[in-house]
Amino acid sequence: MNILVCIKQVPDMESKFKVDGGGKWYDTTDLAWRMNEYDEYAVEQAVQLKEQVKDADITVLCIGADKVKETMKKALAMGCDRGAHIADDEVSSKEPCEIAGIITEYAKGKHFEIVFTGMQSQDRGSGQVGVLVAEMLSLPAVTTVVDFSYDSGKIEVKRELEGGVKAKVAVTTPVVVTCQLGLNTPRYPTLPNIMKAKKKELLTIPTADLLKVDARQQTAKMYFPEKKGGGMVLEGEPADLVDKLIQVLKEKTSVLA
Amino acid sequence: MEFTREIYWNVGHGPMTLIPMYLLAMVAIIVVVKGFLQRIAVYKKGREFVRNDDLSNRFIAMLTNMILQKKVTRVSWAGLFHGLFFWGFGILFIGTGLIVLQADFTDLFFDYVFLKGNFYKLFSIILDIAGLVCVSMLAALFVRRYVMTPEGLETKIDDAIMHGLLFLIVFTGFVVEGARMAVTELGSPVALWSPVGLVLAKMMAGLEDGALLALHKVTWWFHLVLVIGFISLIPFTKFRHILTTSANYFLAERGPKGKLVGLDLEDEEAEEFGATKVTDLTWKDILDTDACTLCKRCQDRCPAFNTEKPLSPMKLVNQIGDAAFNNPEANLIDTLSKDVLWSCTTCRACQEICPASIEHVSKIVELRRSMVLMEGEFPGEEVMAAMEQTEVNGNPLGIGYAERGTWAEGLGIKPLSEDSQVDVLYFVGCYGSFDKRNIKVAKSFVKLCQAAGVKIGILGKEEKCCGEPMRKMGNEYLYQTLAMENIETINSYKVKKIVTSCPHCYNTLEKDYRDLGLEVEIETYTVFLESLLESGQLEIKNIQFSCTYHDSCYLGRHNDIYEPPRALIATAGGQIVEMDKNRTEAFCCSAGGGRIMAEEKLGERINIKRVKMAVDTGAPVLLSNCPFCLTMFEDGVKGADVEDSLRPKDIAEVMVERL
Amino acid sequence: MKLLLVAEYRDGALLGNMADLLGFAEKVGGNHTMFLVGNNSKLPQYGGKLYLADSVKHGEYNPAVHKQLLLEVIGKENPDMVVFCHSSYGWDLAPRVAWALKAAQVSEVVDYVGTNLVVPVCNAKMRRDVQVTTAVTVTTLQAGAFGLSELPAGTPDVEIVDMDTQGQIEFLGYEEAAAGGVDLSKAEVIVSAGRGIGKPGNLEMISSLAKALGGEYGASRPVVDSEWAEHTRQVGTTGQTVSPKVYVACGISGAIQHLAGMKKSEFVVAVNTDKEAPIGDIADVLVVADLTQFVPMLTEKITAL
Repeated sequence: MNILVCIKQVPDMESKFKVDGGGKWYDTTDLAWRMNEYDEYAVEQAVQLKEQVKDADITVLCIGADKVKETMKKALAMGCDRGAHIADDEVSSKEPCEIAGIITEYAKGKHFEIVFTGMQSQDRGSGQVGVLVAEMLSLPAVTTVVDFSYDSGKIEVKRELEGGVKAKVAVTTPVVVTCQLGLNTPRYPTLPNIMKAKKKELLTIPTADLLKVDARQQTAKMYFPEKKGGGMVLEGEPADLVDKLIQVLKEKTSVLA
Repeated sequence: MEFTREIYWNVGHGPMTLIPMYLLAMVAIIVVVKGFLQRIAVYKKGREFVRNDDLSNRFIAMLTNMILQKKVTRVSWAGLFHGLFFWGFGILFIGTGLIVLQADFTDLFFDYVFLKGNFYKLFSIILDIAGLVCVSMLAALFVRRYVMTPEGLETKIDDAIMHGLLFLIVFTGFVVEGARMAVTELGSPVALWSPVGLVLAKMMAGLEDGALLALHKVTWWFHLVLVIGFISLIPFTKFRHILTTSANYFLAERGPKGKLVGLDLEDEEAEEFGATKVTDLTWKDILDTDACTLCKRCQDRCPAFNTEKPLSPMKLVNQIGDAAFNNPEANLIDTLSKDVLWSCTTCRACQEICPASIEHVSKIVELRRSMVLMEGEFPGEEVMAAMEQTEVNGNPLGIGYAERGTWAEGLGIKPLSEDSQVDVLYFVGCYGSFDKRNIKVAKSFVKLCQAAGVKIGILGKEEKCCGEPMRKMGNEYLYQTLAMENIETINSYKVKKIVTSCPHCYNTLEKDYRDLGLEVEIETYTVFLESLLESGQLEIKNIQFSCTYHDSCYLGRHNDIYEPPRALIATAGGQIVEMDKNRTEAFCCSAGGGRIMAEEKLGERINIKRVKMAVDTGAPVLLSNCPFCLTMFEDGVKGADVEDSLRPKDIAEVMVERL
Repeated sequence: MKLLLVAEYRDGALLGNMADLLGFAEKVGGNHTMFLVGNNSKLPQYGGKLYLADSVKHGEYNPAVHKQLLLEVIGKENPDMVVFCHSSYGWDLAPRVAWALKAAQVSEVVDYVGTNLVVPVCNAKMRRDVQVTTAVTVTTLQAGAFGLSELPAGTPDVEIVDMDTQGQIEFLGYEEAAAGGVDLSKAEVIVSAGRGIGKPGNLEMISSLAKALGGEYGASRPVVDSEWAEHTRQVGTTGQTVSPKVYVACGISGAIQHLAGMKKSEFVVAVNTDKEAPIGDIADVLVVADLTQFVPMLTEKITAL
């Protein structure tokens, strides 16, 4: 069984963000990088599936500059078998359609039985790539998966809907699965596996070879929103404070909408 | 008249005595040697381990610990009883040796007799008193073990054998003496030099000479058999500690205290890391288990054991021993249980008090290494998250690394990347950098340095966690990664001296980083500030206040720094009301051994227990010297509901108030 | 500008946020129609044209089926923009429709400025104005971002859509949230109690406020240590790491371990008597007040809303 896991390297959300010189994306200095959280669930599920079916080969794919290899090594250490690094220094300016196009072009003809990826990325957060890849490859896609099982060519998953409700659905492979928080607990790579990962195949393919889709949207501007409360301090009579706080919650959040 | 006595009186000095006697002695020696060879074969199941440095000092340390019973007598009563018994029995042993020396050697071959005259008088009375001391101590220890039975004391068949045998040996010795004296010495001034024997002789005085002679002869042989039995039993009972504990003194860690052995992560062939089975531990680790006498001193002091957690250092060591001798292929982690291994705070209280110089902590870390490096397992998901946070941001709190130097803005200190011409590099640590409470401490330290005219710099965002909590949790890989990065950064600047305000950083830089190439002088802020005070560079006002002081494990037991912090407090005008458990006996705050990253799920909270000890002193302030301790106490005073009456503070904070 | 609003229906009930769809339509201006796979007996409060496909016939959500039905309607309406909610339904269906239409999709829109769609980046730390270069745009709207306070009255003018389609995905059933155990990591609102609440009995008022806000209550380590709340409620590095939309910290001074566990919250309200407490540094709003007075009053007012 061939499995493809698509991952993204994202900045740690705790980093202090700045807008870059071009004003269209964040500045990358002083950022700490890691694997997109949702993609970690994807890697873990792929590895668990391999452990279940034994005979499987997991390719982990990541698009980006050379530094994404660090993140790919973690996926390899977690148990992926080989890496496909799509070298692209301009990845941050690519929109979901282009990213999905690149992945599709790579995956074509490789007979991946299951493609795992995160339901969205933590930085851009469009949540489109997984489904787009499925559409482009004419495969079914199940999204926001929080429970996964596989049995001879068929998967059964639980999709997380709203209000704690889950939908159970089944589909025959090949299929694209997008993973949501709660699906599993990604493993901590063991030291022998970290060592082994250093020797695993990690091919680099130039993005130009795979990019055949045109961009459909572009970023006009990136900026910081006005400070939400901006460290607002409310003091005074409790009754007034209650009114003030309710006002703030209505303005700045959606919980009282 | 001549003050002496006839050796081999009544039993005879002919072959009928000597041949069986020496045969038995030889049998005993063979049994002992064979017994220990068997045990050594088991020790050898452990990994290779070399500790052959400084042989002369090792030998001296062994002798002083054995002969002076230094470690044993640190605990009052039981330790003193053991010490007195040891000295008494030792004297009896030497006395017997002198007798054999004279009768079967100097007298036999050279007609030289030294047990006579004043020397005999002294010899006789000392041995008599020694015997009396032995019997009394045995009685006291018997009462302690079987009548009063301290909580947690494990009593086995070995203990009964030891008590019985030792008592019988000394007692039969006195009977032999009494019977001999009843026949030969009653009424003679010689008898006065054997007061205990005299009492027994008088009690036996009514017996016929024939009966006395028979009694003497039978008891003499019985005494001999008992002694042979005692010697033969050494390898097979807890008596073995006579040799194993002594050997352990010789092989004891000679510092730096508590320094762990690093793993070679460059070794491409290595496939196993840490210990899963007993055979993955070193032979010394197995010898340790054989040196244990179940005195339970470790258990009495273990913060985990004393807060209803499943760890007992004593039990752990003995389970390892049991595995080594009975089931070396068993999975040791399962045998001991993971909860036991994760419970340790590496506070070193067990190791510090152990009268047998057993090293508990390194075993636990070695087993943790296997869980973390081979299985990717942690005490909880929160610990795994902290590890991942550290990988990404260089701190277990997961705060963006670029913010690490932000706390120091406006203080007039710069990162070395901007100005590396400094007197001292202040290695701040994660809590001092990110935790608001501990930032106050870091700022206090900076102000004190500035008041003393010392120019300090920090690494700012180039600094990473020192790796101590990760290392103690068993994550050697992450530790080494962090350490290498820090060392490379530090070495890239011409740093003259590093000062830390976190004892965990201090311990790691001062000991562990040495293996990886850090050579700069390291000092803890307490020692550094003390020297500034002494040199007059720093002056603080003496304003009286009452407080209690908590010795952090890593400044205290791990580095023996007990007095400099107290000197700082005294200079500031602090009057310390000591907690019962202070200095080497200080009770951990709960956060050592990487437990700062872990949820305390089992038993009573260690930090609350410690805070309650501070409350008992009645002092309004609880001073400490460690960011982890301070964090735990800030939580602890809330948990113990004493927020209003007890204020946890760092020493630097009270000092800065007195500038 | 012509919009097609996609409403949601699941398991016999209308879902999704009509207020968001209509609020967005109002903001953008122009005409709009609506599409729903639902049931005639439960029509949304909507004054315009509603294309309705029967959920009984078409079953519960099946992406391929819904895509075909929607494309059918789009073919009739030729909208400039197809608008979904950023929900499990929207983010599953929207990209499929976008790909079929060769349209750009802009996800989780929070604002519409000029002709640009505004979306959050990096956990809403930043925003991005997006320009679309295709004729048709597909969007999903962040919940609550455009909400009208009141839905305009109206009854839809229903046109039935029907076709025979099938999908590969087989729907097996719904699973309701298990009662009991709390999963704070998924709560949208968390009201947490610190030692500042004073006594265990005051936890009641914290949980009431949480309930009023539609969330869960949490606790700091000292509160859990004192056994005022169970372990599963503990927020912090040694408990659960949470990221709700709103986090209300009551009587929590903000020990580093607690802060590290909740700093991913989108909006933080701290209620504390101590203005200098560390929690104030990361709070968006710091209410300086006595909890025992303030919290019950707030709960009452919110319940009455």
